[in-house]
Amino acid sequence: MANPQRKKLAMIVTVWDWTSHANHMGERFLNGYPRDGRWHRPEMDVAGVFVDQQPEDDLSRQRAETHGFEIYPTIAEALCLGTDSLAVDGVLLIGEHGEYPDNEKGQKLYPRYEFFDQIVSVFRRDGRAVPVFNDKHLSYSFDKAKQMVAVSQELKFPFLAGSSLPVTYRLPPLELPLNCEIEDALMVGVGGSDAMDFHALEAMQCMVERRHAGETGVRAVQLIDGEEVWQAGQDGRWSRRLLEGALARSDSRTGVSLIDGRPQDLVHSGELEQLVENPAAYFIEYNDGFRATLLMLNGAVGDFTFAAKLRGLPEVQSTQFMLPPMPNVTYSACLMGKVEEMIASGRAPYSVERTLLVSGMLERCLESRVGGHHRLVTPELDVSYQPPQASQFCGAIG
Amino acid sequence: MTDRSVDSDAYGKQISRRAVLAAGSATVLTGLAGGNRIALGDPSKKRPKIAALVTEYRKYSHGQNIVDRFLGGFGWESCWHHPEMDVVSLYVDQFPESDLSRERISRYPQLKLYPTIAEALTRGSNQLAVDGVLLIAEHGNYPKNEKGQTLYPRYEFFQETADLFRSSGQSVPLFCDKHLSWSWDHALEMAQTSHELGFPMFAGSSVPVCRRIPSIDLPWGAEVEEILSVGVGGIDSYDIHSLEGIQCLAERRRGGETGVVSMEALRGDSVWHAMRQGSWESGGWDPALIEACLCRSLSLEPADKSSRHTYPTPEDFPNLIREPPVAYRFEYADGLRATMLLMEGLVQDITVAARLKNQQDPISLLFYLGYGHEMQPNFFSPLSHHMERMIATGTPPYPIERTLLTTGLAAAGIESLWQREKRMDTPHLDVQYQVSEESTFRRT
Repeated sequence: MANPQRKKLAMIVTVWDWTSHANHMGERFLNGYPRDGRWHRPEMDVAGVFVDQQPEDDLSRQRAETHGFEIYPTIAEALCLGTDSLAVDGVLLIGEHGEYPDNEKGQKLYPRYEFFDQIVSVFRRDGRAVPVFNDKHLSYSFDKAKQMVAVSQELKFPFLAGSSLPVTYRLPPLELPLNCEIEDALMVGVGGSDAMDFHALEAMQCMVERRHAGETGVRAVQLIDGEEVWQAGQDGRWSRRLLEGALARSDSRTGVSLIDGRPQDLVHSGELEQLVENPAAYFIEYNDGFRATLLMLNGAVGDFTFAAKLRGLPEVQSTQFMLPPMPNVTYSACLMGKVEEMIASGRAPYSVERTLLVSGMLERCLESRVGGHHRLVTPELDVSYQPPQASQFCGAIG
Repeated sequence: MTDRSVDSDAYGKQISRRAVLAAGSATVLTGLAGGNRIALGDPSKKRPKIAALVTEYRKYSHGQNIVDRFLGGFGWESCWHHPEMDVVSLYVDQFPESDLSRERISRYPQLKLYPTIAEALTRGSNQLAVDGVLLIAEHGNYPKNEKGQTLYPRYEFFQETADLFRSSGQSVPLFCDKHLSWSWDHALEMAQTSHELGFPMFAGSSVPVCRRIPSIDLPWGAEVEEILSVGVGGIDSYDIHSLEGIQCLAERRRGGETGVVSMEALRGDSVWHAMRQGSWESGGWDPALIEACLCRSLSLEPADKSSRHTYPTPEDFPNLIREPPVAYRFEYADGLRATMLLMEGLVQDITVAARLKNQQDPISLLFYLGYGHEMQPNFFSPLSHHMERMIATGTPPYPIERTLLTTGLAAAGIESLWQREKRMDTPHLDVQYQVSEESTFRRT
């Protein structure tokens, strides 16, 4: 069993099979991970695990045997390690993947809030709380997400959440200056909803939250899709110049490039509109008047890119949020490095309000989609916070 | 884009032999600056014309990747960048069924195919009629020699070009893709010819100029004790990429490049034996440098295949690689020690680590080349950007001596393997040069 001097972790997961987040996020604490040119082994051990679903290809039992931790039938027991009180120093809540129903908005109803509620029940009962990491958005429901953040503040435990995109490598390693004035911003993402649009929105948010006076919250959102997306670009609702900037950072090969290898200028060739299967635009209006747009461009690109126009800088600023390849998927090491930092130091390296706001932005955008693509006023998304002073992503310079 | 009339002094950057000879030997170390720096995009100047000499122009060949970037542009910083110059003539040596040159000619009216190199350079006239030359002799069906080297006709293409430069009494900037030649003697003659005729020239791999993760360079003027790369591929084709990766860092060390005095190449079990020695002094290399490289790789084969990312020990390596490993151990004249490892299968990328004097941890980085054909090989973009700048300004990004030395290192490594892993003194590799402090890899 674990060395008593080392911190103990509980992992509360929906499912632990090959390519699940439990597999490539959680196992960093079993095997270590590359960090700054060294194989880093965290000074902490996974001691108690709860797994909600154990399909045929479940890995949790094999991992328990190899790495010497226990799998418990309840979340409370996993946190108490078989004793009658909280016995771990940190909790990883990984409620991504597994068989769960979808709702009418297209959201997968992962039981993150429910798991979180059971975790904090132990904290309340024992009068002691430890740091918690919640993988991806806090909940499909903004109301639930808000409660989760409120409880973390009430019980005063460090709480970190979100996507790996804000902390993965950037090509180039662009960080917008703190307190910059952003005139316009555009994010390009790919993948399905509500899994990958969340990643894209949070990547966009980690950039734009650095604008003057910090984050002020969101007053309205709208999601449109199909041909209207292109029309909105022609009408100036989103910037084709920023789209050029973002796609100039893409390393995707699609369309005629797959046929004869040529690099192609998707934005000006007309090919983009041909390639995109069902474009979607997520318009975000912030309380301070700033606006940003996420375009989901499945079929045309395979990567996540961002561009912004800053006041006083003639050049568009842009980057790619790099997702390193299988099987290593090293972006997960970048994120688990932040989790380790929080558990070791007792301080979250960036604000959970970022993920709270993005959870709400996403839910309201999906409501816009199912409700006729109308603009929704969102006074409840008045989430204010300050971005981290120091850059938090892997490979940041300076 | 339309064809434009031949203009022998278009862009004002042809460099006469007399002018370069007058510039003196000081220019040799930093590349030939020439006297005519032209800003990119100067509207008062005519667009330069380029001849591309390629072995074959098919999907994914170097010819396709580079020439296509000049024809159709590429993503650069926050724009789709169209080079402000035109490839107007093309010589293609081989036409496989998958040839694309004819399709490109049909789509770009200014581009013409010529049956000989001389005609591509003169565009049917009596004298040189282009402002720059791209010599891209990688890929194609060429014989191999007994040592395993593919006999790409870079030297032959170059000689025909140089002959035309001589007969025309003028020369223009030239880029040579990858190493200069499979032969050291050829390479030396090529570099000497560029100096003799006084034309700007650079060559080499895209590895030195591609993105790096992290985006860092070796501190200029650092004292370097040992450097090691872990790369992919086989000798003659991929050793040069790793060697250029080592060299573009090593050349920044204190005192500049001093040349290489010895080479010992190992293959198969000899590599594992050397690995177990645990240090350069014992016949191996610093194991901390291997760890640093593997921990910069984004494609490390897991030691435990049931896990996604587990760190392999050296004992695991033989089970993880797909080809017999290769090591080139070489020593520079100033004492720097270098090891190039090819470990195909253990990784699918190229990393390098260097131990600096009085620093506990080595510096290390990944040369980011993407992963597979599903991605655009945008590492060709910074290389193309440097070609464009050289043709526009007359200034190469770095001295041709870098690639002269790496060409010699590759040839020496292959020779050592051919001679049953014999350690050889390399007095011919006394290539000395100095690079400037400014980094030339893709940082922005």
